[in-house]
Amino acid sequence: MSPLIGFGLVAGFLLASAVMVVRSDNLVHSVLWLSVVLVLTAVVFILLGATFLGGIQIILYTGGVITLMLFGIMLTGKQDTVEIPNPSEGHLAGAGAALAFLVPTLSAIWATDFGPDKGLPPVTAKHIGTAVLGPHLVAFEALSVLLLAAMIGAIVLARRSDPGEGR
Amino acid sequence: MLDNPIVWAFAIGGPLITFLMGGGAVATWWERRFAGKMQTRFGPNRVGPQGILQPVADAFKMMQKEDIVPRAADRTLFNLAPIFPPFLVIASAAVIPFAATVDATGKYDPTGAVAELDIGILWVLSMAGLMVFPIWVAGWSANNKYTLLSGMRMVAQGISYEIPMVLCALIPVIYAGSLSLSDIVAYQHEHGWIALSLSPSMFVGAAAMLLFFLTSLAEANRIPFDIPEAESELIAGVMVEYTGIKFGIFMLAEYLHTIVAAALTSALFLGGPSPLFGPAGPIAGLIWMLGKTLVLFVLIYWLRWSLYRFRSDQLMDLCWKVLVPMSLLLVMLAALMVAGGFA
Repeated sequence: MSPLIGFGLVAGFLLASAVMVVRSDNLVHSVLWLSVVLVLTAVVFILLGATFLGGIQIILYTGGVITLMLFGIMLTGKQDTVEIPNPSEGHLAGAGAALAFLVPTLSAIWATDFGPDKGLPPVTAKHIGTAVLGPHLVAFEALSVLLLAAMIGAIVLARRSDPGEGR
Repeated sequence: MLDNPIVWAFAIGGPLITFLMGGGAVATWWERRFAGKMQTRFGPNRVGPQGILQPVADAFKMMQKEDIVPRAADRTLFNLAPIFPPFLVIASAAVIPFAATVDATGKYDPTGAVAELDIGILWVLSMAGLMVFPIWVAGWSANNKYTLLSGMRMVAQGISYEIPMVLCALIPVIYAGSLSLSDIVAYQHEHGWIALSLSPSMFVGAAAMLLFFLTSLAEANRIPFDIPEAESELIAGVMVEYTGIKFGIFMLAEYLHTIVAAALTSALFLGGPSPLFGPAGPIAGLIWMLGKTLVLFVLIYWLRWSLYRFRSDQLMDLCWKVLVPMSLLLVMLAALMVAGGFA
């Protein structure tokens, strides 16, 4: 029973934080709530026995979220106060989109027979490593090519047209 | 009784937190005395014998000071930010094995960690990664140009130096074949310390230790990498607007971070509680671990009072053009050595 209570607390707090990401008035608060959501997602992974995934989740997303925060501040123009407005518009359309996602997801979950709890062995770093470098090698390499292309694109965009200028 | 992980966590965690907090407080006094000796002046020597009670006096002073929150600050975030740095640093110390036991069959078993996690090193790195949040939030919420600049520098430095740090932390993982710090220490007890094993793999290990040590100095914002709080440019970095004990908590967290960085380096590359000679029991393990940590700790402050700080752009150049390629090369060499059977 107690694992269920723990999961309930984490999941409840996770959902509440996710709502706060959308509902918060201040952009910085929104992004900080997003970081809470991502850390709690890592906790859910750990509760499910995927400890490696949980650790990687925290390591990768902290850098990502903090970068997002910097973009949020740099792209919102000149700010004289700590309040960066983050207004929510189109509540009705948003609710419609959420419902359109919720109904099929819930019906799929209800329709699935998960069967009895088989008590899966925990997935370790070793399992993930052999899976990534074995059967899924092509996808793994394709991903790294994609990231390389994104990085070259970023460098090209950020490059000055005349290297001698401005130094 | 001690088999219960919760009882164990309290039994080990209590002394660990006491040690870290007390060590951090003593370190503030010790550093000022040490710097004084290096610069032929006295340093604090009035409160108690040799000034040893100075941290107590400082703590009382900071608690008595008025707690000021700037009117234009983001009040909630400003007050929340100082809570997290000491918490994250102490949490990351939870997986470091501080001692070891040897059973009747001679099997060496590193122990003394508050929690024996199979993802040990990942836990430390994720806690270190989260550290940029409270510092950036402190810089942002104070609504001061110096703190904001400092916070921005902190983010740039933190997420850049994290890459070579993670890569160098991978090298003991490659050698030991495990993410658990206890397994890494046990491997080093059997095969020799990774940075000092007198085998072909030692050069990779020693270079990795040097890089890891430098990058953890950057993560802990210590000279020559203390650009986020370069006092000659940014007054006191993100801490400018903090008064009294909140400022004290940030300072304490920095000292704690330095102690934990030294302990982690010694566990990953210098065998942690594994002795160079003599017995390998729990007490000897604790003494060796503390000794290695202390040597690295002194080295950090020796560097701090000997070197100048880098300029912000030099810091980024060093990371991306030297440390990242070097650590990638070291990871490749380490993997080749393990594959070739040299390690």
